[in-house]
Amino acid sequence: MGRPVAIIGVGQTNHGRRMDVCYPDLVREAVVRLYEETGLNPDDIDGVVSGTMPSMMEGVALTHFYFADAMKAAGKPILKTETCGSTGVSIAHTAYYWISSGMADLILAVGHEKMNEGDSQATMTTVAEPFYQRYFIAGAPGVFSMQSQMWSVRYGLEEEKVRDAAAFISVTHHDSAFDNPYAHIKIRVSMEDVKTARVITYPVRLLDVCPNSDGACAVLFASDTMVKKLGLNKVAWVKGVGYRGEEYYFGDSDKAVWQSAVGAAQQAYNMAGIKDPRKELDVAEVYNPFTFQEMMFYECFGFCGLGEAPDLVLKGTFARDGELPCDPSGGTLCTNPIGATGLIRTAEAALQVMGKAGDHQIPGAKTALSHAMGGVDQFNGIMIVGSEL
Amino acid sequence: MPGKVAIVAVAQNAGAESKDNFYDQAYVVTKEVLDKVGLTREDLGTIVSASSDIYHGGISCANSYYWETTGAFLKNASRQDGESLFAFFYGVMRILTGHYDTALIISLCKGSENPENDACTLMYTDPFYTRGIGLQETMAAAFQMRLYMERYGISEEQCAKVAVKNLQNALGNPYAHKKGRYTIDDILNSERIIDPLTAMQVAPKSEGIVAVLLASEEKARELTDKPVWFKGYGSSLDSFYLGDRDLLDGQLKNAAERAYKMAGISNPRKEIDLAEITEPYAFQELLWCEDLGFCDTGKGGEFIDSGVTQKDGDLPVNPSGGVLANNPYVSRGLQRIVEATLQLRGEAGERQVNKEVKTALAHGTHGFAGQCHAVAIIGS
Repeated sequence: MGRPVAIIGVGQTNHGRRMDVCYPDLVREAVVRLYEETGLNPDDIDGVVSGTMPSMMEGVALTHFYFADAMKAAGKPILKTETCGSTGVSIAHTAYYWISSGMADLILAVGHEKMNEGDSQATMTTVAEPFYQRYFIAGAPGVFSMQSQMWSVRYGLEEEKVRDAAAFISVTHHDSAFDNPYAHIKIRVSMEDVKTARVITYPVRLLDVCPNSDGACAVLFASDTMVKKLGLNKVAWVKGVGYRGEEYYFGDSDKAVWQSAVGAAQQAYNMAGIKDPRKELDVAEVYNPFTFQEMMFYECFGFCGLGEAPDLVLKGTFARDGELPCDPSGGTLCTNPIGATGLIRTAEAALQVMGKAGDHQIPGAKTALSHAMGGVDQFNGIMIVGSEL
Repeated sequence: MPGKVAIVAVAQNAGAESKDNFYDQAYVVTKEVLDKVGLTREDLGTIVSASSDIYHGGISCANSYYWETTGAFLKNASRQDGESLFAFFYGVMRILTGHYDTALIISLCKGSENPENDACTLMYTDPFYTRGIGLQETMAAAFQMRLYMERYGISEEQCAKVAVKNLQNALGNPYAHKKGRYTIDDILNSERIIDPLTAMQVAPKSEGIVAVLLASEEKARELTDKPVWFKGYGSSLDSFYLGDRDLLDGQLKNAAERAYKMAGISNPRKEIDLAEITEPYAFQELLWCEDLGFCDTGKGGEFIDSGVTQKDGDLPVNPSGGVLANNPYVSRGLQRIVEATLQLRGEAGERQVNKEVKTALAHGTHGFAGQCHAVAIIGS
């Protein structure tokens, strides 16, 4: 449907606590790197999509104004996509639809966040409305811990096994981050370290949680005719897009089998013609700010049956050398500049199928899934990319 | 253009202040626009909303809040920030790809739950250099107006005429927040907010939950006898710092040129029958008319003097009363589409113009002195 669209280049900042640059310069770093990497320049671009999480996290509203020059978007058509935590993947979707509709040939997508300039959890608390939910939904960990508990209780999962599996995810992702030059948190941790770390909201402990990162990501999308015109052969074709959202009030939806996650993946699989994701995908960049939640995603995305994830995690099915490696970049767990994070997932998936992921390359990866989630446990978005059209 | 997209229904809940809460207001408008063509929520393909956290009553991640009340439960929906014409265009794109045959575009801004507009626009500034001096949108507009008058000899009276015209036009618009018969003196003698802008030349803070239902060509013919077709769209963003820009040589020309090219329009003054323009400050209607190619550069004053833009003129501009009459910040661009659609369909009631309208232009702008512009062309 529509015209084929490919990702032809990626630019990322060195994510972390970037007190050396102001927010526009952080954005500029990603955009300049993208242009350096692709050899293209802003004159070639038909339009720009940008986005962030609640823009008030850093105290600047409608940030496309502030970053017009940093994104080299002055004089360009612009769209501004925001869908809370899933913003990054939604930006990628916007770029995809823009080109696929025939309205453009080259679109720059930019996601950004400079979380160390604000208080992310205070901002996130304001996502909940002030009358009923705000008093008990304090930031992200509260919601996601409740969800993890709901899931493990639903399937009668043994607490210790779930704890071990989550710790295993933490250890392996932290190890992977060492192979990603752009990752924020680079520390070696042991299973014991994770299991004895400070409790944030039970059962989530400090090493089960992502950091606050400063970072930006720029991704260049092109039409098939532009790919041909530029004579490119290593590109990542967009094979599937999916997105679903559910109710605002936390108690209104079943979070143990997360319908929006199931539905978003299904929509993307249908478009990509994928029936057995564990076999047909070579790598997945799952949005995993919390280790426990990552296992739920494996199940909702059909990587395994419901309630099966902890066993498979402990068997290494989703490790770097496993059957379906997940988050070889270290994932959101090690790097989370929220408005950029989903786009980083898509960028990492693209790098994998282009064979450009460097030290964290999964050998021979041809099809990759990227994912982001957001809202008050509400939204899930997927983009699947592949090396072949 | 790869295919055709039509507007098949419109709805709005706008004005000064509604007693309904945001949630209910959004539901009512969503239901109304679907009911108009007999579509159920289940039939609906996709939804693209427009809203901004800063204009969202203190709730961040605005679309989390109204997700299900705009019909989006377990659907593929998305959101645009700042300008509702962005959402309109995104909806058009989603249909053109063939993934969806209907798209609900809904913009939500409940002014009565927000602080004053300029308390919000102050937050566009960078925190280091310009916020400290209190720069906001009205101040930037005042700079722009002063420059406009000095460079081209536009008079304060000519600027005030826009407010006289639009507030009078608004008498025919049940959704208008401000309306009335005023003289140029009334406008100029109202409180001087930021020189040279007086209070009546500045748009109010209003409510506007505005919906447009889009459909593919095939679906449109099934749903309505009076489709209004998408013809063209263009947008453009300017540099951030006011000092880096010529405030009278902005990005609207670029946005318009892109929209005209897509719509195959070479002489906008002749080919466009009616325009709904976002003029949060009265003089901007004159300046935007120049940039849209309705008259020559610097001739915006003479243009309004000629009477062409009056409701009974040859090229009516803002027969709805425009943004001076109703200003739900994020929603105003999409509201221009709604008003233009009603005119094209002959359904604008008391504000219907007397001439035949076949091609109409809708314009949206946001940001300091028009940092960003979007233009859409629609036609019968």
